[in-house]
Amino acid sequence: MDQQIITRYIGQPASMPAGLRARIERDWGGQPIHLYALADLDHALMLGHSWLALGADHVALALPIPGTDGDWDVRSVARTAITAVRESPGLSANTLFLVAPHGEPALSVRYTQRQRGAFENIRFVLDEALAGRTVAPSDADRVYAAAVARPIRDAQALVAGRESVVILRLLRYLAPYRRQLTLGLSAAAVVTLASLVPPYLAGYLLDRVVRPAQEGRLPRGAAMTMAWIAVAAMAALYVVRQTAAHVRLRLMSVLGEFVARDLRAELYEHIQRMSLAFFSRKKTGSLITRVTADTDRLWEFVAFGVVDVSLSLVMLLGLGVVLLTLDWRLGLVMTLPVPLFCWLIYRHGESLNARFIRTWRKWSRVTDILSDTIPGIRVVKAFNQEAREIDRFVVRNDDATDEINEIHKMWTTFWPLLMFAVHATTVLVWLFALPRLLGTGHPLSPGVFVSFLLYTTMFVAPIEVIGQMVRTINRATSSAHRVFEILDSEPEVRDTGDAVRLTPVRGRVTFDGVTFAYDGVRQVLRGVSFDVQPGELIGLVGPSGGGKSTVVSLLARFYDVTGGAIRVDGVDLRQLDTGHYREQLGMVLQDPYLFHGTVLDNIRYGLPGASLGAVIAAAQAANAHDFICKLGQAYDTVVGERGHTLSGGERQRISIARAVLHDPRILILDEATSSVDTETEREIQEALERLIAGRTVFAIAHRLSTLRRASRLFVIEEGRLAEAGTHGELLSKSDGIYRRLYELQLQLQ
Amino acid sequence: MPQTVTPISEPAIAEALELRTSSDGRLSVMEDGNSVTVTVRQCFPWSEPHRHLSLRDDDQAEVALVDDPASLAPASRRALEQALADAGFVLEVTRVLEIEEEVEIRQWTVDTAHGRRLFQTHLDDWPRSLPAGGLLIRDVAGDLYRLAAPHQMDRKSRELLWAFVD
Repeated sequence: MDQQIITRYIGQPASMPAGLRARIERDWGGQPIHLYALADLDHALMLGHSWLALGADHVALALPIPGTDGDWDVRSVARTAITAVRESPGLSANTLFLVAPHGEPALSVRYTQRQRGAFENIRFVLDEALAGRTVAPSDADRVYAAAVARPIRDAQALVAGRESVVILRLLRYLAPYRRQLTLGLSAAAVVTLASLVPPYLAGYLLDRVVRPAQEGRLPRGAAMTMAWIAVAAMAALYVVRQTAAHVRLRLMSVLGEFVARDLRAELYEHIQRMSLAFFSRKKTGSLITRVTADTDRLWEFVAFGVVDVSLSLVMLLGLGVVLLTLDWRLGLVMTLPVPLFCWLIYRHGESLNARFIRTWRKWSRVTDILSDTIPGIRVVKAFNQEAREIDRFVVRNDDATDEINEIHKMWTTFWPLLMFAVHATTVLVWLFALPRLLGTGHPLSPGVFVSFLLYTTMFVAPIEVIGQMVRTINRATSSAHRVFEILDSEPEVRDTGDAVRLTPVRGRVTFDGVTFAYDGVRQVLRGVSFDVQPGELIGLVGPSGGGKSTVVSLLARFYDVTGGAIRVDGVDLRQLDTGHYREQLGMVLQDPYLFHGTVLDNIRYGLPGASLGAVIAAAQAANAHDFICKLGQAYDTVVGERGHTLSGGERQRISIARAVLHDPRILILDEATSSVDTETEREIQEALERLIAGRTVFAIAHRLSTLRRASRLFVIEEGRLAEAGTHGELLSKSDGIYRRLYELQLQLQ
Repeated sequence: MPQTVTPISEPAIAEALELRTSSDGRLSVMEDGNSVTVTVRQCFPWSEPHRHLSLRDDDQAEVALVDDPASLAPASRRALEQALADAGFVLEVTRVLEIEEEVEIRQWTVDTAHGRRLFQTHLDDWPRSLPAGGLLIRDVAGDLYRLAAPHQMDRKSRELLWAFVD
């Protein structure tokens, strides 16, 4: 996927040339390249392709030899000769210096921001080595491609395919509704065909009934009978046509909704299965738009676009054939300009598209002001800038309005002109037809001419649809791409086919040499090992960014370890049924998340069948019962979006009640009391003490005093388990990290 | 390691600042006979790119702030200007060949003064007008592309850029 993205979008090699790689590895005595990066700027700041490769013992810089066909000048340096790695960052040009002893440069390369991720990987490994730690990435191609493609993949997690392939994939969602689709299409075909008959009947009546009757060639009685039959046939035809139109509209709109519903359901189900890494890449708003607006746009396409486009093609073709059959001379006059009209509508759409982009840009400048100043209204008022902001808004609003009015000018000019051209064609038909109707030239009956004129009025609608076909298909494929992008994303954490269920979970947790890197290279955890017995309370402490939260994220299996293993009751976490395992796991977070709903719904979120008595007992254990009873509608009070009607401490106690009711065997407390006042903290602390009894608990806290009762404290620093022991044991270490942190906090109090 | 911040705003002090280009091409500040390797950060890369230059060491601590390079001794000024060329480098677009919209991204193909380049922007990211004129585009990877005079580019470039220029 990443290599495809590089090839399709970036126009640089998706991997190091095989010949160069082989040569470097040969120079290194067969040692493999661990990492490599493309230096896309030369020393004169011109774009080019040089490569920096990193092995276990060497670093090599490969520069292309000018005037040769892929020859390289390779300079290798022993890693032992590198004493420091430095980067000079610039706006778009960065330079990486590998510094040799005495400060002399061993190697230096320049590159744009695009390559920075790949160079940071190399820099990280070298820095780690200089600090005495070994990191040996295993798949250089994958790591390089991931680093280079990441910005594009984060913006668009797919390689845009051909429109036809996307449309075909979308149409496959119609398969379960074949019967309705066939009926809908048949009804639409009936509407089209039935529309072609009345003009013919009109001409027939005029030529075969009215004129012969007027000229006395047809007895009045027979003429009346024929006329009534024709009128009855026309009436019947209109009934059939409108019935078919009703069937078509009803079936296709309902069918479109079914397809949109199926897509929404599949999409939401897929989103729910995605790992946390996916949600950190995608904005919430973007995901919501895909489930709502994009599927709605696809409904429009399936319900009307598919049928309208195909039937308009049939209609235009049918009209052309009928007109040419009725009278090929007049038929040519009428049909020859049709491709020109379609092209003009297409061109008009393209011009509008450029204007729409311009309007969108100017409109976003209007919304920028709104999204800046409305949330920041206090600052605006405090600095007395209301008048300036109003002026800014007025200028941008006027600018956007001018642009929108240009669009109105364009379409209000184009469509009357197009209709004028269509009417001019009709006038041309008259000009050609009149001499013939009056007896000059090839004879033309009035009936045929009337039929002809009626048919010409039917040209406009399908021309309009065909002209806008490209735009319709573009919009649909764009939405389909956005939907399929999500559907094609694979969750990073997946259960194996024979996943194990632990019943019951006892709560022993073992970290065995666990390493973890979010990007596969830069390790956040480095060989962390510990063994926690069921019922232990473990306090995780250490500086911010040290890896504490990563430990609990891995324990919750939000991510899989990069190296080593995590075992619960002796079973590797990757072998467990994740859903069942998480049922045994509880979390109380620093900023508890409450859903829009009642207090009751929120407390029994993990156990919807829990009795009301159990809910009250859980709330009592969480010191939440009293304040809940004081709420307007007690447990049935709606807490509002994210629980905004409650204070932080109240939300926290509801989340503790939720965890109590869930009755997990392993409990994670992540800064559960850090954002509340002292009195609330005391109440929460009491609730937590009841909650943790009899469970294996991992508690992260910055206020070290809250962890005095922990069975053991683990000090996590720079991704390692730096110290472990009880509060007393760790305080007794004269130069210990925990002691230093503890004394620092005491001084601040 | 020297960490002193020395605002060099008065010419007399600025003249005292000695800058050199070291053998690896990096800029160094000479302090009390010691050399401190620094990088240049422009405080105002677009409003005033050649003045108010912050010199920072490897830990990103400010070693000196040069308000006006003209106040430096000629050799120091040359060294600073050389480093500034690297620090302020952005890709200068000379011709726009293609702009295509795809799902979530806009794909640009351009000729720059440094060679041909394909890059991507988010669909709702727009080129920014610069104080001294011209446009600045930031791609999804963070690289910057400057169009110094979009109105004077060739006809096709102007047509392609029309939607993005006021």
